[in-house]
Parts: sequence; C-alpha cells; structure tokens
Amino acid sequence: MRLVLDTVVLQRPSWSLAASGVFTPGIHLVSGDVGSGKSTLALEMAGLQVPDSGTVTREGIRTALLSFQFPEFHITGFSIAEECASWGLEPEGVLHHAGIKVQEDTPVLSLSRGELKRLHLACVLSREYDLLLLDEPFSSLDCPGKEEICRQLNARTRGITILFTHEQSIFPHVDHIWEITGGFLDDCGEMPGAFTRWQHAPSLIKRLLQTGRVPDNITLEDIQEAACRTRG
Amino acid sequence: MQDPRVRLFCAFLLSIAAFVSIAGASLVFAWWVVFTPRWHNIRHYRAVVATLLLFGIVSAVIELTGSNGLSYFVRMTAILLIGVWVFADTRLGDFLATGTWLLGSRTGFELGMIAGMSLEMAGGLFEDFHRIRMASVQKGMPWSIKSILPAGRILISDTLRRADDTAEILAIRGYRAGGALCQHFSTPPGEILAGLCAAAALVGAYLLR
Repeated sequence: MRLVLDTVVLQRPSWSLAASGVFTPGIHLVSGDVGSGKSTLALEMAGLQVPDSGTVTREGIRTALLSFQFPEFHITGFSIAEECASWGLEPEGVLHHAGIKVQEDTPVLSLSRGELKRLHLACVLSREYDLLLLDEPFSSLDCPGKEEICRQLNARTRGITILFTHEQSIFPHVDHIWEITGGFLDDCGEMPGAFTRWQHAPSLIKRLLQTGRVPDNITLEDIQEAACRTRG
Repeated sequence: MQDPRVRLFCAFLLSIAAFVSIAGASLVFAWWVVFTPRWHNIRHYRAVVATLLLFGIVSAVIELTGSNGLSYFVRMTAILLIGVWVFADTRLGDFLATGTWLLGSRTGFELGMIAGMSLEMAGGLFEDFHRIRMASVQKGMPWSIKSILPAGRILISDTLRRADDTAEILAIRGYRAGGALCQHFSTPPGEILAGLCAAAALVGAYLLR
C-alpha cells in the first residue's frame, strides 16, 4: 500500500507547489506555513481535486478520507445521534471517545467549535481507512484535546496517516516528516534522521538539537526526555 | 470598471431599467454587451446557471398561471447579468470607499464596511459549499437535492458564527462606530460614457414601456 506523487504541480494565482514522493504505511507529518498549499495538496492526495500537472497514484488503497480543518463541513445529521449514524457509529462510544457529556439528541451545531472538532475526529478515528488525511487536526483543540488525539493516532496500527499541520507543540509519534518550503514539498526523511533537515521544526526542538540532545521522536514525552537529558 | 461609484451608479440605474419593462431589459442587455467583459469575468458559472434555472422554473409557473412568464424571465436575467458583473468587478475596499464618499465617515463608513464584509463572505460561501459537497461524497452520501438542506444549515450557522467572531474582534480592537478613510477614485472617460448610457437606458425603459 502506498501513495505516490509523481511531479505533481499545483498552480494558484498567489502560490505554486511542486511535489514528488512516496508515502508508505505509518504516520507522516507535512508541515508548512499558513497559505503554503497544505490543504490543496491534501485535496489532491485524497483524489478530490486533479493536479494541474503530474499524477497522484494510490496503490492498494481502497478506502480514503480527508478530514477538513473545519469540522462543520462534514456534518450531515441534525442531532449528535444522527451525525454518528451517518458515520455508521453508535453515539455512546463516540461521545465517550470525544469526552463530551451531552445528550445524544442534542443538535450537533449547538456544540462549541472545540467540541465539534473532538466529535468529528472521534468519528473519523473510530473507523479504519487505508489512507487517512487530516488537515489541521489540532486546530480549535486545547492541550488535553490535542493529547487525546495524539493518543488515538498512536493507536493506529495500519494504513497511511498524513497530518497537515503548522502545530508547534503537541504531536503524535510520527514515522516520516515532510515540509513545504519555497513552493516545494521537501522530504525530510524518516525519524529521527529527519530532524537535521526539518526547517519548520518547533523552536524547542531546534534548541535541543543545537545543544546536541536529539529526541527520539516529536511526542511531548520524547521532547521532555531529551530536555531533561544531562549534557555530558 | 475602475471607479466603484460609477459601477454602483450604473448597477442601480440598470436594475431599475430592467425591472420597468422588457424594452428596458433589452437596453440593459445591450449595455452589458458593450460595457462589460461579458462572460469572461464570471466567477461562479454553476451558481449563475442554477439561478437561471430557478428563474426558468418560476417563469414557467407564472406562464402556466396565465401571466407573462417570459417577461419575468427576461427582466430577471438582465438584473442577474448586472449583479454578476458587479460581483466580479468589485475589489476589496470598493464599498467602504464608496459608502464613505457618499454618506460620510459614520453612516457611510459603517454601511460600506458591512457591504464589503458581506461580499467577502459571499465569496467564501462558494468555497465552503464546495467543501461540504466533497465531505458528503466522502461519507458515501451521493449529492442530491436533499443534501441542500443540511448544507444550507451549516452555511448559515457558520456565517453567523463568523459574524459573531468578527464583531468580537472589532470590539477588542476598539472599534465603536464610523471611521476616517482617504479614498481616491480614478474615472476614465469610458466609464463616464458607461454611466451616461446607463442613465439613457433607464429613460428609454420608461419611454418604451
């Protein structure tokens, strides 16, 4: 199972993006500045939009989902129960995963943006996809919410998961880092070797690297462990 | 058209002209052919086609009930063409500049700002609608006429939420009412001619009624 980008080019009036690379099973992080083309690239990868040139090939991928940054776009039910049913899920389990304490017949749009995001991600992460693309999964979430999503992502054992984010503090355990710089999708490589090429690395990670303390990964625990490491 | 004042002036006069009579609508159509880029600057073809379809249905119903459905269709189409042209030609800040010029730094500024924000939001709604459609298809729910209701509910709810956020941001930044604006307009001779022709179309619409 793999997703192949072959000299894909996306052209917009204010920016352009060229991307090539192979995405294999595991968790991939695509970082980049706001407006660098992450969301558009996600659309192309999901097959929801055709690139201006080049090809996107999904080999062995039977099920795919792109979770948009704004969870409202995915809502088709009126109540929470209807919304869960539209994903083929029981509301009790989803509400438990999302950590939301409301009645199942509560109108889904009466939830706050953060609650809505948690509900949506709980629905998405309760299902199995060969290719799961998450556009800014941490937006609108507080720190405990982000940590819970990371826990659920870490529990995924199969498929290709790609996170498109400019998050700078809380991450799941990732296998591969990519970043968009200067209109190109750069392959920073597998972890932990990717650190040396990751220009968008959070400032705390950069500082750790400068002092020779290379974390094993980018999870909060890995960063804390590296920060507490005694310098020899 | 560079001068937003002339653009709004023309749109106002031409809308009335199209509404007054079929002859007026024909003059408006002629004006549209001469003074606008016609189909070349339409931003959302599908929305225009859908609106024309809606007009067609309403016209058919009017015709079947014994009134003049064709007249309704021609006049509404002329108004739609003018609306589409204004929407495509308007740039950020046009309404704010025109409002302040026309009605001053308090009422004019506020009305201009509201109009500008509404137009900006309208542009975003098309993009949001497209995303909602994609999300629905991903869920395995084929897009149909039934999908319009939940999509509309989300768009309205989202727009109200964004309006609330914008109001809060304005308040946090200290906005109370009105504001100063040093607007600058450029009016090429061709646009003055377009304005005069729009006025002539309105007069013609009344005379040929």
